[in-house]
Amino acid sequence: MAERVKTSGVERLTEENRKVMKDCNDQLMHWKKVEKDYESLQERLITLPDKLSYDVMVPFGPLAFSPGKLVHTNEVMVLLGDNWFAKCSAKQAEALVAHRQKLVKKKLDDLHKVMKSFRDKAEFTADLEKITDTAGDFVDIREVLSKDEEVTKGKPRVAHKPNSKPKEEYVLQLKEEQWEGEGGASQGGVLSETELWARLDELERLEEEQDERDRLDSTDTNGEDTTSSSSEEEKETETGSAVEVNGHRQCEDMSPASYAGRVNGVTGLALDGQDKDEEYEDEEEFSSLPTIYFSHTTEPKKVRINTGKNTTLKFSERKEQKDAKRKKKSVKCNGHTLHEHHKITTPADIYRVFVDVVNGEPVPRKSILKSRSRENSVCSDTSESSTADFEERRALYGHEEGAHSAASNGVTEDGRHAAISLYPNGRVEAFSGTVVEKDPLPVLIPHLTITPPALPTIPERKQEEVGSETPQEVPKRVSKFKAARLQQK
Amino acid sequence: MAEAIQRKLQSELEKYQQMQKDVNKSMSARQKLEAQLTENNIVKEELDLLDSQNTVYKLIGPVLVKQELDEAKATVTKRLEYINGEIQRHETLLKDLERKSEQHREILASLQQEYQRAQGIPAGKV
Repeated sequence: MAERVKTSGVERLTEENRKVMKDCNDQLMHWKKVEKDYESLQERLITLPDKLSYDVMVPFGPLAFSPGKLVHTNEVMVLLGDNWFAKCSAKQAEALVAHRQKLVKKKLDDLHKVMKSFRDKAEFTADLEKITDTAGDFVDIREVLSKDEEVTKGKPRVAHKPNSKPKEEYVLQLKEEQWEGEGGASQGGVLSETELWARLDELERLEEEQDERDRLDSTDTNGEDTTSSSSEEEKETETGSAVEVNGHRQCEDMSPASYAGRVNGVTGLALDGQDKDEEYEDEEEFSSLPTIYFSHTTEPKKVRINTGKNTTLKFSERKEQKDAKRKKKSVKCNGHTLHEHHKITTPADIYRVFVDVVNGEPVPRKSILKSRSRENSVCSDTSESSTADFEERRALYGHEEGAHSAASNGVTEDGRHAAISLYPNGRVEAFSGTVVEKDPLPVLIPHLTITPPALPTIPERKQEEVGSETPQEVPKRVSKFKAARLQQK
Repeated sequence: MAEAIQRKLQSELEKYQQMQKDVNKSMSARQKLEAQLTENNIVKEELDLLDSQNTVYKLIGPVLVKQELDEAKATVTKRLEYINGEIQRHETLLKDLERKSEQHREILASLQQEYQRAQGIPAGKV
């Protein structure tokens, strides 16, 4: 269609060109004739004074001639133009004619130039037609950009998952605080559509992970919350968040933040995840400014949670790490991640939410049940690990809080507070796994990992992780074994 | 509604056409003036070529009136100036007319749109 249009345009162009060239040609012919006339006139003027008089047949009107004589051959009346006449000698007349001839020549030259330019134009239009008709050597290069993709790619998500308002008061408080902090942070940060989209993606990923964790086995309500929150984020429904809130409450203190973010909508989304990250980060890094590397992991549902020591959470830590790195390292509420995972729709989800991040992997709380039996099921964590975790978390709590204040990250604080509040709930730590962070870096990442309900192995749980978890979860009882393990770390 | 718009459209169209005619007139007048300009230039140059010995005549109607060369030159020069002035005047007039016609064109376009819309609605209804 475009080609056709183009062709028609080209046709019209050629048509116009042809018209102009025709005009040019006509004028050219006219002036050539004039030039020839002047040449003959010049000749005549030269030969005229040769004789004193000429015998001529003088035309009498249109039908008659009469013999006569041409005298005063040297006297010529020249029309100068504009009704002006001048009597001149033949020689002077000749000079005038020469002068006029010059003008005519000039006009002819101009016409020739115009002709040439239009001929070139016509050639080009012909070429254009050829180009448009056939592929030719000219190719129209287009690149279709999907703005959204570009925009969201690599951009941290700003929006939080829509959180359902936390039901618990402390959660509420935290949420508000967190939300405000988050809001401020997020708003201060790159709160742009693109970022929100990125955040949404991250949250979705987290949610997926959470779901997977839930599916496999998850005593981590955190993870559950995260996933649930992620899913909620995806849906951006605040109603669902209510359920999540419950789970969140129990699991993470970040949930309030995340929920708050959810309530906010997009902004909330970003905040949530960030909150979670923050919390984790804070827990992990007490000394340094809490920075949360929030990254949504798009882990396929391959989370495998072993109840027991060797619980391994196989959700894509890497992805989380990536996301975390991508995400701004601003101290933000980790509630987001928490929220993502805290989508609690069933009691089992609760356990999923409570996940200890070990080495960047959410470690499901160890349950007393046999791992085999506990697989794909969520049990309450009454094992030592859970107690240990709980203790860890408690410890982390303090750290977090301290770090929080240092970081002056309102969001984190909120998360922490939420965590604290969560803990006091006396929630049994469903997740017996311990979140172990081997590196500081992964620690940051583990935020995400923690948040997703991926069940990390139950390795030692770092304080930060615990801290992050603590905010996520209600204070869990950590078994003495777990505590021992934690101490070992 | 559609009829009213149509009537308005018609009136605007007429006005615009009138404008266009004025523009054309002005344009043609200017072209004539330009031709005269060139002609008078040639006359001037050719008069320069002549000397006082030649007698210069001016054709006034059916009568050839003898003129002095200098007088002729002066006359031609004055005429040239006059023609230049006329051309300037016509140019400004042309510009003005162009502007006005542009405005009219816009009005016409908007009216046409309205008319189309009005027509579209009844057509839809139908």
